[in-house]
Amino acid sequence: MRKATLLLLCGALALWACRKEDPVIPSRDAGLTGETLDVAGFPSSEGKVFVLNEGGMGSNNATLDFLRLSDGAYVTGAFRKMNPDAGAGLGDVGNDIAVNGDRVWIVVNNSGIVEVLSAEDETEVAAIAVPTPRRIAFDGEYAYVTSWAGAYATGGYGPDGSYSVTDYDNPKGRVFRISLRTLEVDGSVEVGYQPEGIACHDGKLYVANSGGISSQLPPAYSYDNTVSIIDTRTFQVSGTVAVQVNLKDVYSDGEGHIYVTTLGNFWDVHSGLYMLDVSHPESPRHIGDYVSVSALRGNTVYCIGTDTEFDWSAVHSYTAWSCKGGTVTPVPLSVSGTPYGLAVLDEDIFLVGDAGDYFNPGTVSCYSKGERRWSVTAGVCPGHFAVY
Amino acid sequence: MVGNGWSLPWTFRCVLVLSIFHILPCLLLSVSGPLPAGQTDTLAAAMVSSVQLLPVVKPAEEVSLPDWKAAPAQMADILRRFTGVQVKDYGGVGGLKTVNVRSLGSEHVGIFLDGIQIENAQNMQVDLGRLSTSGGIGRIALYNGQKTRRLQTAKEYASGAAVYLDSVEPTLPDGSGGEVRIRGGAFGTFNPSLQWNRRWDRVLLQVSAEGLASNGRYKYPCFDTTLVRENGDIRSARLETMLSGRLRQGEWKVRLYGYGSERGFPGPVIRRAAGFPFSAERQADRDLFVQGGWNQEWTGRYATALRFKLANSYIHYDTHPEKNPMALPYNLHYRQRSAYLSLAQSLAVSGPWSVDLSTDWQRNALDSDVGQFVTPRRSVFTGVLATRLSWERLRLAGHLAWLGAWDRYDSPSAGGWSRENAFRRAWMPSVSLYYAPFQWLEADVFVKRSFRMPSFNDLYYSLMGNAALVPESALQAGADFHFRFPGRTWSWEGRVSPYRNRVDKKIVAIPTASQFRWTMLNIGRVDVAGVDVKSDLELRRGDWKAGALFRYSYQNAVDHSAPGSQTWGNQIPYIPLHSGSADLSVAWKTWTLAWDWVYTGGRWSRMAHTPDYYVAPWLLCDLSLHKKTLMPTRSGHRVKTPELDVGITCYNLLDQSYQVVQGYPMPGIHLMLSVSYAW
Repeated sequence: MRKATLLLLCGALALWACRKEDPVIPSRDAGLTGETLDVAGFPSSEGKVFVLNEGGMGSNNATLDFLRLSDGAYVTGAFRKMNPDAGAGLGDVGNDIAVNGDRVWIVVNNSGIVEVLSAEDETEVAAIAVPTPRRIAFDGEYAYVTSWAGAYATGGYGPDGSYSVTDYDNPKGRVFRISLRTLEVDGSVEVGYQPEGIACHDGKLYVANSGGISSQLPPAYSYDNTVSIIDTRTFQVSGTVAVQVNLKDVYSDGEGHIYVTTLGNFWDVHSGLYMLDVSHPESPRHIGDYVSVSALRGNTVYCIGTDTEFDWSAVHSYTAWSCKGGTVTPVPLSVSGTPYGLAVLDEDIFLVGDAGDYFNPGTVSCYSKGERRWSVTAGVCPGHFAVY
Repeated sequence: MVGNGWSLPWTFRCVLVLSIFHILPCLLLSVSGPLPAGQTDTLAAAMVSSVQLLPVVKPAEEVSLPDWKAAPAQMADILRRFTGVQVKDYGGVGGLKTVNVRSLGSEHVGIFLDGIQIENAQNMQVDLGRLSTSGGIGRIALYNGQKTRRLQTAKEYASGAAVYLDSVEPTLPDGSGGEVRIRGGAFGTFNPSLQWNRRWDRVLLQVSAEGLASNGRYKYPCFDTTLVRENGDIRSARLETMLSGRLRQGEWKVRLYGYGSERGFPGPVIRRAAGFPFSAERQADRDLFVQGGWNQEWTGRYATALRFKLANSYIHYDTHPEKNPMALPYNLHYRQRSAYLSLAQSLAVSGPWSVDLSTDWQRNALDSDVGQFVTPRRSVFTGVLATRLSWERLRLAGHLAWLGAWDRYDSPSAGGWSRENAFRRAWMPSVSLYYAPFQWLEADVFVKRSFRMPSFNDLYYSLMGNAALVPESALQAGADFHFRFPGRTWSWEGRVSPYRNRVDKKIVAIPTASQFRWTMLNIGRVDVAGVDVKSDLELRRGDWKAGALFRYSYQNAVDHSAPGSQTWGNQIPYIPLHSGSADLSVAWKTWTLAWDWVYTGGRWSRMAHTPDYYVAPWLLCDLSLHKKTLMPTRSGHRVKTPELDVGITCYNLLDQSYQVVQGYPMPGIHLMLSVSYAW
């Protein structure tokens, strides 16, 4: 018995050793080249950092870039290069990107598409239709996508293929649920006005409602200020808590804290960070003000902001800080320009997307030890990162 | 809220209002009864020496519509041929069309209807698509330099470049006359129009009506497939009444104008999930204005011109989320009102020297139900002191204009909203010189500085506007050499016009997903160097007449905003380096065949020159055939013989699929028919 076990173990070891010796089959995107950047000190020498460039609304110019960590190559326009038959490209306004397993999910807002790609080589796996999708989160079984939905909320396609609407005065948004197995929408639930960020923790979804459109519409002209909490088991809204106007990002630190950022109302309520305790979410805590961009790494939320944010003519200088378990720590990082996206790869390696004039291609810069290490031209409005 | 039950009752209401508005003056006038025809005199012009009336700078382009049988029905189709002009066109009958001259930007181009500016304080873009060639407009002229005539409004001095649409007095040997025209064809277009003129002694009445309906459907290539453009339909109606008359040593004119339309915006061509439409956006609008003027010679040396305009325009914009799940749920209403008063005075001091003083006052108001709307109000005063020295072969003109704009708007402040003031001003000088050394050569040079005020959208559009904007400056210097060799069987005219422009503190508006919303981009500085060349040859022999008109424009318009930036030295968006046109025509007796070509070179849709933003060059070819028939009349004593004109035009004969604005495909080959009857 013992012998057999030993044999098995040896065999397994041998197999493992063999596997290690196997020639590495290069990914199909290995041939893509780009500007070579210094990736020394990055936490991994494998995989990629994806950069989603939003593009301009109506310009159909969302693009996908990636930084390959093995050789530091920054590849632009990877979606089009790896899917040459997709004539229309990635689409109009890439609003969110996330890696789940060996797939990368891209939310293409104004195309009404949630794009599923192989994270290995960026080839298309599926394109799922979701009306005005915004952000995405996962649990083990489903992808959840927030949607401004508009009239889609209470309309649908009939058996004859025609579209009918039952109630269009209600511009509330929804969360759509997509099965990771079938890659099809299998349900949706109504939340607040123009939902944005979404995060999943312990069988609950936390959805930030912005009201970005309803703030401009009669009769109320007001932002939403709520977080909708959805029970993933029943897929129903189980609670709604008020936080602050015009909510944007939601993060779960995995330790029972939900972080929510707000954009403010652009004149007397500043942007900021709030924290909800999942055991009593109804009393959110105000952590700090001034959040232009934010990102989560592990259990820590990083924010970059400026106290001159409502002065449209000012040249801003931004300061950075982090929050862990409700405790704020300054981060030695100073950024100028128009930061539009943030990724924190290590305690001291920051990637910042700069949108420039929002119209011409922006840049992605790497900062460490408070200094800018390099800067590379990306696509228009580089706003979202995902690590594979 | 005016939005509910909009479509039908609105149309009805509009027609009702317009009818009362137009029929009443006609009734009032008809009591005065007809008087013998043929009393054509030009009293006003006779008083000052004729040389004083000569222009210093001649128009760069000038067309006379009654002479042009195959004239396109759309103003944009005429202007796009002009040298140095770029027309931005979002495609289709109802698509937005704006004009840009010598890379100054469309906001620097004033469009003047009988000398009074058509304007839009909201975004400073005049949609050429709304201007028709069948509204009694007889002359279209483009001025690059400064138009320098007597008794101009101050606004005429204050715009960078100017397009003039002037109505001409119809010749009415019978005391009355008119024209009925029906045009139609591709995209289900039906475009009837009527013009009716009547003269009593010293008063002329002109009534013009036009309707337009089109489904706007055409095929276009959409990435790997071919689709049909949807939601590009339009219905519109225009009704105008013009009264003009002569006084002792003077003249007056009043125009009542009403326009209403309801249209769809097909939206840009982008990737869109199957089942979701590109767009369901609709816009209904209504424009009403009354404008007029009174020119009077007081003594042989002193004359005045008083002009006014009252305008009211209304827009209802709806994204129709019930029809398009991708639409952002907007349902907005805008109302713009303006009042304008202008007094121009001219004094012939002595001999060749004359001095003009023009003063304009204008008030603009914009209201909307959009959230956090700042309800801006603007008062603009413009004063101009201009002087001219005119001899037969040498003429000099100069002016100094001062423009002040006072804005009031709501601004968010601690504890609520407060009313804020803003003041912007600009000094604008200009000098022009004309010299004709030979019979066959005329030359002029000009230098001009002008400013355009930031529009309400630039300043106050919520989340996009920037109240800190300053006026955008345009400095122009140009020369023009005009050669002329007239002959009996042939004649040739040629023009060469080099120029340099600098636009500083440039505010650029680029459309987003919907044509109604704009993103502000302050490019900073643009340097333009260009040359316009034109050659016009005409041959005549017996019943034959042939013409060949070639135009070429070179425009090197580069970004000089931020040294070291990625776009420094790049050609600015949507300006081709090379563009040109060729109009060839042959006429034999009552037949006219016209063959027109328009070429626009490659352009970029962004300042950054990457392949994604390259807009391919295009070459358009239109072919048209017209036949005129003189109609026999039963009553043989009529002075004027009625004419029937039948024409057919094939547009885009080469069936090019092209885009003027990236993402907005233009129609391929299509046919239009027109039948008109003039009496």
